[in-house]
Amino acid sequence: MTTALILLLLVLGAYLVAVIESWAHSGRFQLSAPLLAGIALLGRESIVPRKPDRIFYEVAPVLLLISAVLAATVIPLTPELIIADLATGALFINAALVYVLVALLMAGWGPNGAYAMIGGWRFLGQLIAYAMLIVMPITAVAMRAESLLTTQIVISQSGLWNILYQPIGFILFFVAAMALAFLPPFDLPNAKSELAGGVEAEYSGVRLAVFRLGRLALIITLASATVVFYLGGWQGPWLPPWAWSAIKILAVTATMLLAGRYMPRIREDNLLGWCWILGIPLALLNIFLVGVLVLVFP
Amino acid sequence: MISGARQGKLSGLRQLVASAMARDPGTFVVPGHDIAWAHGLDLEAAGLQQVASPRHASVLLVIGDIPPALREAAAVIYAQMMRPRIILALGSTDLSPLPAADIVAGISQQELANGVHTLRAALAKGAFHPDVSDFDAPVLQIRIEYTCSMHPEIIRDEPGSCPKCGMTLIQREAQATAAHEHTDHPKMKDDEHAGMDHSMQHETPVEYTCPMHPEVVQNEPGSCPKCGMDLEPREEQADAMHDHQHMDHDAAIEYTCPMHPEVVQNEPGSCPKCGMNLEPLAAHDKQDHAGMDHSNMDHSSMDHSSMDHSNMEGMAFMSMIDVTKDLPRSGDGLPMEWIEAPFGPFLPGLPGGLLLTLTLDGDTVAAASARSLTENTGLFKPAPIDSQSFIEQLSDMNPLAPVSYRLLACRALEDAAGIDVPIISAHARIGALERERITSHLGWLALFGQQTGFDWLTQRAAVLQRKTRHAGLKQISALKPALQSMIKRLLKAPLLKSRTVGIGKLTPDTVLYGPVARACGINNDARSTEKIFTTLGFKPARRDAGDVLARLHIRLDEIMHSISLIEAAGAISPPAPVTTGTLSGTGKAVIETPRGMAGLQLTLQDGQVATTQLHTPSTSHVALINPLLEQQALGDALTAVCSLDLSPWEIQP
Amino acid sequence: MSTLEQYGILLGLTIGTTGLVLSLYFLARAIGKTRREPGKDVPATSGQLSRDPVWVRYHARYYGYALLFLSFDMEMAYMYPWAVVYKQVGLVALLDMGVFLAILFLGLLYGWSQGALRRQ
Repeated sequence: MTTALILLLLVLGAYLVAVIESWAHSGRFQLSAPLLAGIALLGRESIVPRKPDRIFYEVAPVLLLISAVLAATVIPLTPELIIADLATGALFINAALVYVLVALLMAGWGPNGAYAMIGGWRFLGQLIAYAMLIVMPITAVAMRAESLLTTQIVISQSGLWNILYQPIGFILFFVAAMALAFLPPFDLPNAKSELAGGVEAEYSGVRLAVFRLGRLALIITLASATVVFYLGGWQGPWLPPWAWSAIKILAVTATMLLAGRYMPRIREDNLLGWCWILGIPLALLNIFLVGVLVLVFP
Repeated sequence: MISGARQGKLSGLRQLVASAMARDPGTFVVPGHDIAWAHGLDLEAAGLQQVASPRHASVLLVIGDIPPALREAAAVIYAQMMRPRIILALGSTDLSPLPAADIVAGISQQELANGVHTLRAALAKGAFHPDVSDFDAPVLQIRIEYTCSMHPEIIRDEPGSCPKCGMTLIQREAQATAAHEHTDHPKMKDDEHAGMDHSMQHETPVEYTCPMHPEVVQNEPGSCPKCGMDLEPREEQADAMHDHQHMDHDAAIEYTCPMHPEVVQNEPGSCPKCGMNLEPLAAHDKQDHAGMDHSNMDHSSMDHSSMDHSNMEGMAFMSMIDVTKDLPRSGDGLPMEWIEAPFGPFLPGLPGGLLLTLTLDGDTVAAASARSLTENTGLFKPAPIDSQSFIEQLSDMNPLAPVSYRLLACRALEDAAGIDVPIISAHARIGALERERITSHLGWLALFGQQTGFDWLTQRAAVLQRKTRHAGLKQISALKPALQSMIKRLLKAPLLKSRTVGIGKLTPDTVLYGPVARACGINNDARSTEKIFTTLGFKPARRDAGDVLARLHIRLDEIMHSISLIEAAGAISPPAPVTTGTLSGTGKAVIETPRGMAGLQLTLQDGQVATTQLHTPSTSHVALINPLLEQQALGDALTAVCSLDLSPWEIQP
Repeated sequence: MSTLEQYGILLGLTIGTTGLVLSLYFLARAIGKTRREPGKDVPATSGQLSRDPVWVRYHARYYGYALLFLSFDMEMAYMYPWAVVYKQVGLVALLDMGVFLAILFLGLLYGWSQGALRRQ
């Protein structure tokens, strides 16, 4: 029952992400646009490029969707509304989201096309940049909560949200989450103007619909993870918990989608350089600071 | 009935789907968004959503007249679009080899909006049709060529024997460019090919063979004609070698794929799994083949070079160092394989019509070549032409800067005919020229924003460009604060500097024009030599860095300078047509177009233009591309090309 | 519920998602079959047909970063359980892990000085 409800909310959330994305792009709020787009994609032909790696080509969109759905299963929307409150929840999110890389590499290698291939390998470079910046802030969050249970992580923020307790960690996690979801300015694998769609370019029709659905689910999952780890989850005055969850998740989604419009795409060399030379020391500093704070203020 | 309908009857679920498709048309713009902006079209307002890949598009939007080479590329795009697909042509006359346009309209925003309205109805009704036929065009056909493995310069269209050595020609699928081989090695230039001595001498026992292509055997050392590697000496009897390479040797010769050794065929061709040419496999290797463990072969762990071991006949074990020792080395010393990919003519972010072919080493550009597909061979023919049509032709040649070329034609004609222009109309002409400079730079900014993924810039610059295109004097002054705030906001954007500084650096010793030159510190501006500009208070912009950021700054500065020039000139009107009567003479004129200095020399005979000589800045700039892109990352390379602000339409062959 | 049940739900979700995707594929197939036409299945490269295979040895330029990433990834595997018991163990835990992280950080600095952290 909870499972079905959460899945429904996930689909609704993905739908709203699409609406927000089209609003960010065109300034108009069109509630029916994603539904029409989905039905239209079902009605179009879906072709497999010539001489592909068939397994990789077919598995990639499905794997992207599965990885986003699995990561969403450990996100609590209210204290009871969680599909699987795994004891290793925070770690499991990371484990599930790694398959995004596998999916995009498959989507890059499979079609046997130049643009997709370059897009796939560029995403691997991006992963090497952002991966540590996802994992280290999660560790610092777990230090405060003394547990990897996502519900416990939210409860541990009842005094002060983590965004104020560990602001460095929040900034690093937010940026790394945008890079994981390959949102602009980190849209190296599916750059519209450098790679004519990159990993997405060879998908058409229903396969493209699944790919896009996976991407939307990924964005909403990452926004939910940010809210759970740093913004106090369901906590807040007056409104019921689910309302707070919804408001916070949508706010984070809108921020992620809007931020990229006002910046050019980042260069991969710069992304790697800044993440490793600036980001990792900051993440280590964050862990150290949280370690000291946790001991000093029990 | 649209030509790109899907097969089937329109009923039930299909009707719902068709009406959804009508409301969500992804559009692929040919020849490019820059042309759409130059014509003042607002695609989003008309309801068309631009997509990057033809597979995501249902509408092919063709704007203006398209030259034949570009039409073939458009046919390729159309063939790669998924059905149902529909063609909306604005102001195009002939679209072959594309099918005839389903919706035709003129080039204006209102007509575009009407066209989109009709298009929606057509898609909803015609998305499915019981009777459809394939779209075919000559450019889509796989060209099977027949070539000799020892003499790759022999290419025939039918099977036969090589005229040089008598071997049967083997089949080969024609690749993207002519005479294009298995591309994981640097291609040899044609003169190297020709200079090689392929003739067989049967007396000497020491032969040289290629480790990757054992059928290639020569008597002197050299490079393998197929892949460029140095040939290794091999001690074999002359007869055995003969047996090995004669292709009509009975039955024992099989063909296999270097990447998929389990694919074995009796005749040459291409591998059904990956498309590479099949290499001959010597007979006695078959046992080795059968003994090889194929079960754990999967694509992700495939190592290309090590697969070649299975094909080598009579060779001792070759380590990776030996196998790769003649491969090209990248900058860090690693031998890797290169791929060649076209980036154009319809890549969003690059000017439409520019075919950029990059040889990529990973995501670094190892070699680049650019050419324009918009060659209009019928320009200024048949000579002589009368001055009116000459002006129109020159103005239509470049839709991205029509007023500048019109002015160039008029000035050259006036110079030839000895006509003087009063100061007032000269000022009005300057107003028009400068307004076009603003429009062109804004269009470039929108294209630059598209190339760098900077959506806000693209939208803002496109809006301002639409407003400036036909703006009068008062409106331009009214737009000044909006332009200033856009420039200020742009320069404060995060990541912009890191994205553009140091990229695409040009040195002042190359032949440069226009803003590209001024960004390098070269004071190359045709306006600085004209008195009329100095009286209006003209000062050329100048930066020294010579990179993309400097060019961006120069163009932004020029936008503001042009506004002050327009305000000083006090009037805007394009040049009036020039009547040359029956005069004769020679004339020349030089105009600072938004992209650089353009020069025109012509001779008049009895009022008709007999000979012309046109020089445009893009023609010189396109030659800069190869050295500019060496060893650049792909994103940086494309940004550098975009920053040159080429107009493929004005590139002269 | 027990961990096994939880993982069972996750497995069920995976299979269910795959089932959903397959049913979408069948629905699309019911609407119409894809027509094979010349040139349609060649990977789209903006207007030029390029039938060359691209499965070559790709020259990734970030291998310096990748090596360091491996070591840090192994470190993170140790840090997860450490983070959970950190508050309980107290200052000793901070010092222990501090030493470990400092050694790794020195490795990072060394790699930086040797030019690993740049485009190769």
